[in-house]
Amino acid sequence: MQTQFIGEHLLPGQLGHFFTLLSFIASLLSCYSYFQSVRYEHKNKDLSNTWLTIARNSFIIHTAAIIAIFFTLYYIITHHLFEYHYAWAHSDKSLNTKYLLSCFWEGQQGSFLLWAFWHSILGIVVIFTGKGLEARAMTVIALVQACLATSVLGIYLPGEVQIGTSPFILLREQMQNAPIFQQANYLSMVTDGNGLNVLLQNYWMVIHPPILFLGFASTLIPFAFIVAALWKGDYTEFIKPTLAWSLFSGGILGLGIMMGGAWAYESLNFGGYWAWDPVENASLVPWMFLVAALHTLVIFRATGRSLMITFFFYVLCYVAIWYSTFLTRTGVLGDTSVHAFTGEGKSMYWHLIIVIFIVGILGFSLISYRRKTMPIIKTEEGLWTREFWMFIGSFLLMLAAVQISISTSLPVWAPLAKWVSGKSFAPPVDPVAHYNNIQIWVAIIVTLLSSSALFLKFKTTNLSSIGKKFALMAAVSVVLSILIGWSQQIEGSQYVLLLFCSIFSIVASAFYAFGNQKSLIKMGPSLSHFGFGILVLGILITGRKKEVISLNTLGGFIPLGKTDMKEAIKESQENVLLYQDIPVAMNDYWATYKGDSSSTEDPRSFYKVQFERKNSATNEVLEHFLLYPDVFMNMKGEKGFSANPSSKHYWNKDIFTYVSSVSAKTDDLSSVSLDTFRSFKLAKGDTLFLSKGFMVFQGFNTNIKDKRYTQEANDIAVGALLDIFNLEGKINSVQPIYIIRDKAVNQIDDTTTESVGAIVRLGKIIPEENKAEIQIKEIEQVKPYIVLKAILFPHINLVWGGTILMILGFLLSMWRAITKKKEAKQSSEAA
Amino acid sequence: MKKSHIVILVLVVAAVAIIISIFGDMSTYETFSSAAQSPDKQFHIIGVLEGDRKINYDPQIDPNHCSFMVKDKSGIVKKVIFNGAKPTDIEKSEQIVMKGKMDGNEFRCTQIQMKCPSKYKNDQVAVGNAS
Repeated sequence: MQTQFIGEHLLPGQLGHFFTLLSFIASLLSCYSYFQSVRYEHKNKDLSNTWLTIARNSFIIHTAAIIAIFFTLYYIITHHLFEYHYAWAHSDKSLNTKYLLSCFWEGQQGSFLLWAFWHSILGIVVIFTGKGLEARAMTVIALVQACLATSVLGIYLPGEVQIGTSPFILLREQMQNAPIFQQANYLSMVTDGNGLNVLLQNYWMVIHPPILFLGFASTLIPFAFIVAALWKGDYTEFIKPTLAWSLFSGGILGLGIMMGGAWAYESLNFGGYWAWDPVENASLVPWMFLVAALHTLVIFRATGRSLMITFFFYVLCYVAIWYSTFLTRTGVLGDTSVHAFTGEGKSMYWHLIIVIFIVGILGFSLISYRRKTMPIIKTEEGLWTREFWMFIGSFLLMLAAVQISISTSLPVWAPLAKWVSGKSFAPPVDPVAHYNNIQIWVAIIVTLLSSSALFLKFKTTNLSSIGKKFALMAAVSVVLSILIGWSQQIEGSQYVLLLFCSIFSIVASAFYAFGNQKSLIKMGPSLSHFGFGILVLGILITGRKKEVISLNTLGGFIPLGKTDMKEAIKESQENVLLYQDIPVAMNDYWATYKGDSSSTEDPRSFYKVQFERKNSATNEVLEHFLLYPDVFMNMKGEKGFSANPSSKHYWNKDIFTYVSSVSAKTDDLSSVSLDTFRSFKLAKGDTLFLSKGFMVFQGFNTNIKDKRYTQEANDIAVGALLDIFNLEGKINSVQPIYIIRDKAVNQIDDTTTESVGAIVRLGKIIPEENKAEIQIKEIEQVKPYIVLKAILFPHINLVWGGTILMILGFLLSMWRAITKKKEAKQSSEAA
Repeated sequence: MKKSHIVILVLVVAAVAIIISIFGDMSTYETFSSAAQSPDKQFHIIGVLEGDRKINYDPQIDPNHCSFMVKDKSGIVKKVIFNGAKPTDIEKSEQIVMKGKMDGNEFRCTQIQMKCPSKYKNDQVAVGNAS
């Protein structure tokens, strides 16, 4: 007997299923009709137009159906209809409204829908602007839409074959065997959903996916236009729309990728904006193919060369888009990625492989079919021409993308490699170094080419006219490189070379913009190359000079049994223990944990950490700021801990902190106070016993190198070196400092927090006895504490600023590509 | 032969050489005993928590020292020392992937990735970083 379930809202789901099916059928019909319209284009104009009308209307219906699916699913999520698996799995009642949208794309199907939504909107634009290529381009777009729609169909074929997963599936259908669903009133027991992953409860999660997916979706349009051009055998009409759409796509996809970086930097504790994670690489690779294709298309527009390779790059780019989807959504990346979709994607495996083949075969077979009819220029291009070097640069970008793709695909080829070699391959021990060591050379050549090629002209260049300019620009760049290299301490030949090349790129692009182009509308290319140069410079400086400042370098801490200094530093502490109200030195700051904001209602606690920079002689506070790194705890009654960083932004650096551990909460912690300073007279070699260990006075030090102390003339400054031991051995050393400046005395205390908690002060120096008066204040170990990691990122703003300029350059070029009237094809300032 | 073809040929040859060198740069998945044979090299080891899943981490003693017992795929149990704060939720992990090298009878680990059983079916992967 069929159970009558109580309280279910079945209508939204039925509507949802209907709209999914409608969107699929409409896209198929649109694809077929567009195809028919092309078939009868010359044979029967009227019939062709009829098919065209059907095709357009079906695509509009398809778009409407996708929007309807969107609203239906959104209705289910916002009304907390937990009888639906999607709402149950990805949302809960406590979520803020703005994050309800994030729930939508947290799941596999929601993000496919978002992707399909952008495709359909862009498709509508193509209907209105595609002109002679509309029917062919739209056939491709509708075909891809049909492929995408299958991923949310949720149709079951005989033999356990499932096509797609519907987002409208009911909880009881998803988990048919669970006993709870035998009861008619099961819904009264499912009162709340699982909620959104805390890592995703962030405003970046609200804005980043739509932009990234718009970027992903927009790569379809240039692909559709090149397929249309190949199909029609017309190699002029496609140039303008393909170029404009590629520039749009390059800008938006680039923005989406870097927003992902900004998200990781702002709200995840990976300690950086780029980690060469497979998921990041998966969107970078198509972008690189796209940029390569874009440049060879410009070569073709200006000179008639490089048509075949342009088509090849575009097909490669679009295949890479689907391959990325395959990598990130089927779970093949498994252990190698930090944030790939996993598990859910098993059913997508063959589905996506089929789509990759459809897209690849369509593109590559058309190129092969048309290769004889493509215009080829038999003569050789000159060495000193823009097209020659632009081509080399594009080709190099393509190779670089291939390298990234092969390294990222390790989990894909590892089984084969194991079969051949018997070894089970794992990702490189240091993946960042693996990619950097190769890609740095690409960056060197590409920055150099991207700026120099601006000055070369298509077809022929008068070298003598630009020789002087190059000499001047090189001289300016050398001077700037020396200045920046010296102040930022850039060492190592390849880094110095990259420094010069990125600066040269910035200088040359600026020269070209203001010296040669002059009018703003033409500045797109030089602006994007200028931004790219700044981005590379920013990557170089932040990457080379990133510094973990929570590392307590004071007193040369060497862990037990480590003789090798390099190893000792690597293994030494990057996390620092902060007891409440006890300042600890970090670089030239004093960091003090001041308390937390935790309440029983809010799962999120903010930890207040005060940073102060003091004048070493007068103790005057020069700078003061508070950071509030936070932690999500005890989600849904489970033990859980998820830290979000907090950063202090300066124009030239960021101080980035996050909490890696906190003390257990007890209510009576606040009643515990410190004991007071006690004084001891110590001679060299004397031992002082504390409650949890002891310290040995190693003597005075007059050569003080300490970031908290800035020497001035006439200063008398003495440090007292004390080694600290616990019961197991030496754990570290401290050096309190005693300063006489202008007859005034000042002391800089030092703190040890590991196991022997104490604040140590050099109270007095007794020269006649050659002794030191050491004052000790022991820290009660029951005080609340946090464990903090702090990283200093210098010049991170170059990374963000460079990205923004580059994207503006893309968009400005796009505007120019759209609005430019038909000029002579030989026009030489295009780039 | 065109000049551009020569340059492309050079680039392709260089790229092929680099891509072949990629394989040398990749690490391998090992067990405790196979990793012990080359103590200077870092490897990946996959295992599960042992010893009642107890994690020794007391930031008041050392905020950068975390140790626990792990059973690798061959069934051998070793002590693992991670030089960093305790990775979030490691107690709940179903499986951990560690990067590091053997040091005598202990595995010194610089990075940990975990697979955690999630609230619902799909897995979540979290990460802990030492260096």
